[in-house]
Amino acid sequence: MSVLAVAIAITLLLILVGLSNGTLNEVSGRIESVDAEIIVRDRHFDLGSMSGGTLWERQADQIMEIEIAGAPAVERVIPVFLGRVKLAGLTQNVFGVCPEDFAYFAGPRRMVDGGLFEDMDAPLEAVEHFTEQARLAEQDRDYRVTPLPLVIDERLANAGGFAVGDHTSYGDTPAVIVGIIETGVAGRVFAPINMLRGVNGIAAQTAHMFFVKATPGLDTGNLQLLAEEIETVTHRAASLVANYGQILSANFRNLTIFVSLVSVIALVICFLFILVTMYTMVLERGREIAILQSLGAARWTILRQTIQESWLLCSLGTVLGILMTYGARWLIQTMQPLMTVEIRPFWIGVAVLIGIGGGAISAMYPGYLALRHDPVEALSFD
Amino acid sequence: MTEALIKTCGLCKTFRNGRLETPVLHDIDLEIGRGEFVAIMGPSGCGKSTLMHIVGLMLSASSGEIFIDGKNAADFSDGQRARVRRDKIGFVFQRFNLLPTISAYKNIAVAERIRGHKVDGQVDRALAAVGMSDKGRFKPGQLSIGQQQRIAIARAISHEPALVLADEPTGNLDSGNAERILELFSEIHRERKVAIMMITHSEAAASVADRVIHMADGRISNA
Ligand SMILES: Nc1ncnc2c1ncn2[C@@H]1O[C@H](COP(=O)(O)OP(=O)(O)OP(=O)(O)O)[C@@H](O)[C@H]1O
Ligand SMILES: [Mg+2]
Repeated sequence: MSVLAVAIAITLLLILVGLSNGTLNEVSGRIESVDAEIIVRDRHFDLGSMSGGTLWERQADQIMEIEIAGAPAVERVIPVFLGRVKLAGLTQNVFGVCPEDFAYFAGPRRMVDGGLFEDMDAPLEAVEHFTEQARLAEQDRDYRVTPLPLVIDERLANAGGFAVGDHTSYGDTPAVIVGIIETGVAGRVFAPINMLRGVNGIAAQTAHMFFVKATPGLDTGNLQLLAEEIETVTHRAASLVANYGQILSANFRNLTIFVSLVSVIALVICFLFILVTMYTMVLERGREIAILQSLGAARWTILRQTIQESWLLCSLGTVLGILMTYGARWLIQTMQPLMTVEIRPFWIGVAVLIGIGGGAISAMYPGYLALRHDPVEALSFD
Repeated sequence: MTEALIKTCGLCKTFRNGRLETPVLHDIDLEIGRGEFVAIMGPSGCGKSTLMHIVGLMLSASSGEIFIDGKNAADFSDGQRARVRRDKIGFVFQRFNLLPTISAYKNIAVAERIRGHKVDGQVDRALAAVGMSDKGRFKPGQLSIGQQQRIAIARAISHEPALVLADEPTGNLDSGNAERILELFSEIHRERKVAIMMITHSEAAASVADRVIHMADGRISNA
């Protein structure tokens, strides 16, 4: 019973930490896979919800003009317009990108099935197109609307059971899956940027993020310089893609604190549980302890036994908790294949230390009680 | 002349419970020789059990001295007291105090384990000595009270202690069983030359002892 309590607390700790670390690392790993050096976003852009704050076409032009040491420093500015779509039961960010820029996202990853989409020439054309389509569909129920083409990654395809040619929808607009790409790309879902703007009713060439591809040969120091220069001319936040992981976890510090807090509370509860269990055990076994003392067991032996017993409880609980963590991870990833639970040896080590250390500490008081117990009283009365 | 097994000089005991003080024993001078069978008698509450617990080193005296085998137990550490209990003393209680969840055999074996003895057949010999050879595998609850007390006695003597302390060992028994337990005590005393200190309320029980010590109000009334 107390073994289970410890196990559940340990599992909670490992799963919460694993889930937040896993998600952060997975997201930052994906962003860092983009073949560009700097990421630009509005200061009000929220990394968590990936929303708010817009970038303008004019700012892309300003960035293109930046020179470092008298030479052009930027090879290309890659705009990303973000949308949202519900697929496989979870809301996904949609990366609206120009088909010509797709290679920067794909890198060495292959298209597993299908192919890339084509885009319309301008967002205004897309807005008009989708408005017109919606009007026609309203008049005639059998009218076939041209859907928004999507490329999704393999993990999402597997999780949602999607194949090329499958129909789904983006809000009220029909969408179709045209390609499936190997997992590891920055977005799980890609759409042509102008069409995505159009579907969202945006007629201007706005974006939410710019990835900046610097001219080859710029070293880290110069990239840092370039990022600062970008901030000066655009008044937007620019950071090195390589540092994205750190930025993300700094952004999620509150989440991390919350997770740690929940885990600590779970552990404290579980140690209290052990303490109470051991406490009642010592009380219940008062007579037994006294008998052992009358037989010549030293008080030290009895203290040691009490501590050993709770230590054993905690060790078993910790081991069970670690096993349960793997079980829970399997369960989570089977039911929600898009969630990443990362179980790191470091955190298993922490769990073991906490489980065993906590066991020893929570055994102190009952152990002390066992020492204090008056054996004569226990032997004489009922 | 050999020194006494137990010797107390001016032993006093006062229980303190917060500000409440209960003086229980006053100036007890007592000697028990090796292999001597002593019965302690006296009215309820006169301090017999308290004296016995002090002699058995389960309780410490408030003042006065207690010598065991010539050594002053007042100087003993907690561990040393436990060791003396373990090696030299066996306890028999009015309420048997067997561990209820394990068999009679194991009750004795547990004692052996605490004592660190690893003598083959010791448990069996102790069972045989109390006439319970065939009852070892029963749990205490499955035995009659007379039989339970026999197991408790077997546990107290299995390591061949120098002194057996028995607090009203027949107090919970009917007269037939009580008689047989007393016979067992005299037999053990005769054959093993073990000293016995037995508290009893019955004249008949006291009559099997070599000597009877009467107590009243925390003092020995017949020196
Ligand atoms: N732990 C204790 N704290 C306070 N008083 C105690 C304690 N133990 C015993 N006493 C008191 O000491 C006195 C003697 O107790 P003790 O048990 O030694 O008597 P006894 O002679 O064995 O009596 P009985 O024949 O009823 O067993 C009693 O008045 C009892 O209330
Ligand atoms: Mg008594």
